[in-house]
Amino acid sequence: MTETADSTDAHGSGGDDHGDDHDHLPGKYTVKRWLVTTNHKDIGILYILTSLFFFVFGGVLALLIRMQLWTPGEGLLSGFAYGQSVTAHGLLMVFFFLSPVAVGLANYIVPLQIGADDLAFPRLNALSYWLYLAAGGLFAVSFFQGGSFEGGWTLYAPLSVPTFTPEVGATSVMLALGMFVISVTLGSVNFLTTIHTMKADGMGLWNMPMFTWTVLLTIWMMLFAFAALLAAVYLLAADRIIASQYFLAEEGGSLLWGHLFWFFGHPEVYIVFFPALGVMLETFQTFSGRRLVGRKWVIIAMVLIAVQSFLVWMHHMFLTTINLEIKTIMMATTIAISLPFDLLVFAMIYTLVKGKVRFNTPFLFNLGALVLFIIGGITGVFLGAIVLDYEFRGTYWVVAHFHYVMVAGATALFGGLYYWYPKITGRMYDEFLGRLHFILYFIGFNAVYFSQFAVWEMPRRVFEYSTGLTLWNQIGTVGGFVLGASMFIMFYNFAKSLKTGPQVDGNPWKYSRTAEWSIPSPPPLENWTGVPSYESGKLEYVDRSPDGGHEEAHADHASIWPVLIAASTFVFFLGLSGISDVGPTGFEGVNTGYAAITGLGALALLGSAAGLGNERFLAPEQPYGMKWPFDGIEKTKLGTWFFLYSDVVVFGAVISAFIFIRIHMGWGEYETVGPNSMSGLLPEAMALPGLINTFVLVTSSFTIILALVFAKHQHKKGMLASMTATWVLGLTFMVVKYFEWAEKFDAGQGPSYAIEYSVYFVTTGLHGVHVVLGLLVLAFLIFKGYTGSYMKDHRAIENFGLYWHFVDIVWVFLFPLFYLL
Amino acid sequence: MEEHNYDTDATWKEVLLTDEGKVYIGVYVALMVLAASKFILFEAGIGYWGLFTGLMVMAAAKTALIVAYFQHLRWEPRILTYLYATSLFAVLLLMAAASYSIT
Ligand code: HEM
Ligand SMILES: [Cu+2]
Repeated sequence: MTETADSTDAHGSGGDDHGDDHDHLPGKYTVKRWLVTTNHKDIGILYILTSLFFFVFGGVLALLIRMQLWTPGEGLLSGFAYGQSVTAHGLLMVFFFLSPVAVGLANYIVPLQIGADDLAFPRLNALSYWLYLAAGGLFAVSFFQGGSFEGGWTLYAPLSVPTFTPEVGATSVMLALGMFVISVTLGSVNFLTTIHTMKADGMGLWNMPMFTWTVLLTIWMMLFAFAALLAAVYLLAADRIIASQYFLAEEGGSLLWGHLFWFFGHPEVYIVFFPALGVMLETFQTFSGRRLVGRKWVIIAMVLIAVQSFLVWMHHMFLTTINLEIKTIMMATTIAISLPFDLLVFAMIYTLVKGKVRFNTPFLFNLGALVLFIIGGITGVFLGAIVLDYEFRGTYWVVAHFHYVMVAGATALFGGLYYWYPKITGRMYDEFLGRLHFILYFIGFNAVYFSQFAVWEMPRRVFEYSTGLTLWNQIGTVGGFVLGASMFIMFYNFAKSLKTGPQVDGNPWKYSRTAEWSIPSPPPLENWTGVPSYESGKLEYVDRSPDGGHEEAHADHASIWPVLIAASTFVFFLGLSGISDVGPTGFEGVNTGYAAITGLGALALLGSAAGLGNERFLAPEQPYGMKWPFDGIEKTKLGTWFFLYSDVVVFGAVISAFIFIRIHMGWGEYETVGPNSMSGLLPEAMALPGLINTFVLVTSSFTIILALVFAKHQHKKGMLASMTATWVLGLTFMVVKYFEWAEKFDAGQGPSYAIEYSVYFVTTGLHGVHVVLGLLVLAFLIFKGYTGSYMKDHRAIENFGLYWHFVDIVWVFLFPLFYLL
Repeated sequence: MEEHNYDTDATWKEVLLTDEGKVYIGVYVALMVLAASKFILFEAGIGYWGLFTGLMVMAAAKTALIVAYFQHLRWEPRILTYLYATSLFAVLLLMAAASYSIT
């Protein structure tokens, strides 16, 4: 049984419609199905719908802004309400709409494009989704906690500290972002493992479809960039909850925030743009009937951009006091990064010129996106010039620039929704309504954003402007409403076509080439009837299992734990948002109500995490595919490593903050806090707790590796003894830590005592959190080991060890830096 | 997972004294010695920056041992090490450039 499906004329050879709703999952029209599903297509749909909800949420805020701007002076909103609207609009659109809608498409499409059954870790995927939703929920709650955050989406310090924005809701916004980053990190680990190890046999990296390529690069950037954001948000949350002084102190303050945020922030703008680029590249090929011109160079250019995106961040800081040399370097790197972009643009234009274009809705949106992106990119180059930026910084020019580029991304993604709508639903949307949508959308877009170039002298985030600019602002407001209204045509079109659209088979587009079009629409739960393979150069289904059945017939698709874990996390973070009263004068006490919520959330989190750990769940495997350069690395181990790479950046960014502050203050002025540091360059009882803890932690690293050796020899007692020893040592570490901290608190030297104390508590605290999390996981592993696990499959112990050794390594640096020097 | 054949009837001692066990014991001893010998540097009279350099070199040496043996990257495909180095490089870049920007 070897079915073939020509990949250029991909007609549904995916086979019979068996198991649309398999016995492993409740039916599509039940609520339960959507709570327990771990299937990538379901999760993709959930992501897309949820992100569209946040799009409407952010869009309503945008219209509030535009209504305020109808007149030059006071209007509809108070200053506080306006600030919240601008801030929430930005955060919701960037984090809760733009990235997630792309992730939704990626969830649905990438496994199909690479011939995988699902993502590498389906339950983790569900968890990412639910954490994202819960983070959005926390964001929404923030409006009801005395007001949300009003300091702008960039969370610039010092506006972001309680002295200036004391609302509990502002803390919730930071925590919601933190939760979102956790979701993103899990998602990144999952997608990296999937794309690198689950491709169908015969598909190498070079052969991957362009959308998958852009997603892969996006995820790589995410892994590192979001880790920096996590560190930044962690420090900010610490300032808000335990009253540390990172962003209030002069030595840290707005410059430190600028560095941490934009080290994340510039890659982020490509993170939101790349998947859109992928959609453009796919649709340009499909609707011009031509293969991408210079495909190889396009890929190389994209890789370059992804790398370079980490080298330009200070172009957002041209007006700060950083020195001219570094500004000049960043100006050069900024200009350099527009070169590969030029190549991409020319490759796209060339592809279209050489092909025969069909103007279907998906193509229209993507062509529009290209035009808008070019305008946005050119205006960005202006901003990249230091001298010009002195004029433009903080004005509507910047606002117009980034809306042209970012919303161009959204435009391409809307095109993507039209493009894959027939695949996802099995029905065709209404072409007339689609084109109508595009026309109104394009007019509205240019009215609202081009008018912002016209009023470029207006300062951003301020609602008063000089009366001469009224007309342009009103054009912008009208444009905003046209743009908003046009979206409802799409919603209507999609809703209506779900019932009445003409049914499509596998492939409604004449020249589509990628594998998702070779199977029925919508694809069956398990995607493929055989095992997809590209060994022969085109997509085929080969039969590899001995009895001719489907190999993954018993893969699981349902788990209730992800949603429960996310709900518990929500409760936990909600509690944290108000757990301490930090006023303008610092820490003022604990709020018992919120503390109780935090405790409840923590308990629920423990319970649900244990539930997940205990569940038997079979994830799909791909034993055959091309995995270069990760050949021979088992997938959970690879996932652990990806996670650790991002953790390196989290810790590294926090330590960078310390180095930055210390240099800013003057290296020698900085008083190291560790115990007895006052004894100067020498001594007796010097830094004793730190030293003890060094021995303790190194020993625990040794015992956990022994546990692995014992497990390999199926020596249960030895394994359990070593694990228990590790646990006791870890606990000892925390007990010593406790006394060390308690001593400081008793002396009235808490985190707000001085910047050195902030840095000391928050940095060693982050490490402590890692130890505690490790201890919780280890306790669970010991329990599982005791009840018979790990004698045959010791991956969990090995992977836990990798994490634990990493925590040890961090301490190896923290000890000298915080106790000795 | 490696396709090793492990002696599943080994005693405690036999497990500890396998080649693998011995390597880990050796690394552990080296780590403890390195940790303890920090204090020699304090007696060496090399000044603050000498001390700083010395301690950082020692920390780097310990890290190398932990990474190579306990995280067994020595026996894994090189790519895992390269990516580790890449993430380290990314934060060193942040650290260096941010610090330089305020000089
Ligand atoms: C093609 C080359 C690009 C260049 C040279 C460029 C350059 C710049 C510069 C120098 C700024 C800082 C302006 C200031 O605050 O004074 C800026 C702001 C911004 N750019 Fe770009 N940009 C480019 C492309 C993009 C793309 C593709 C995106 C997103 C898809 C983007 C999103 C943004 C955003 C969001 C901001 C504003 C951040 C804020 O709120 O302050 N840019 N751009
Ligand atoms: Cu930038």
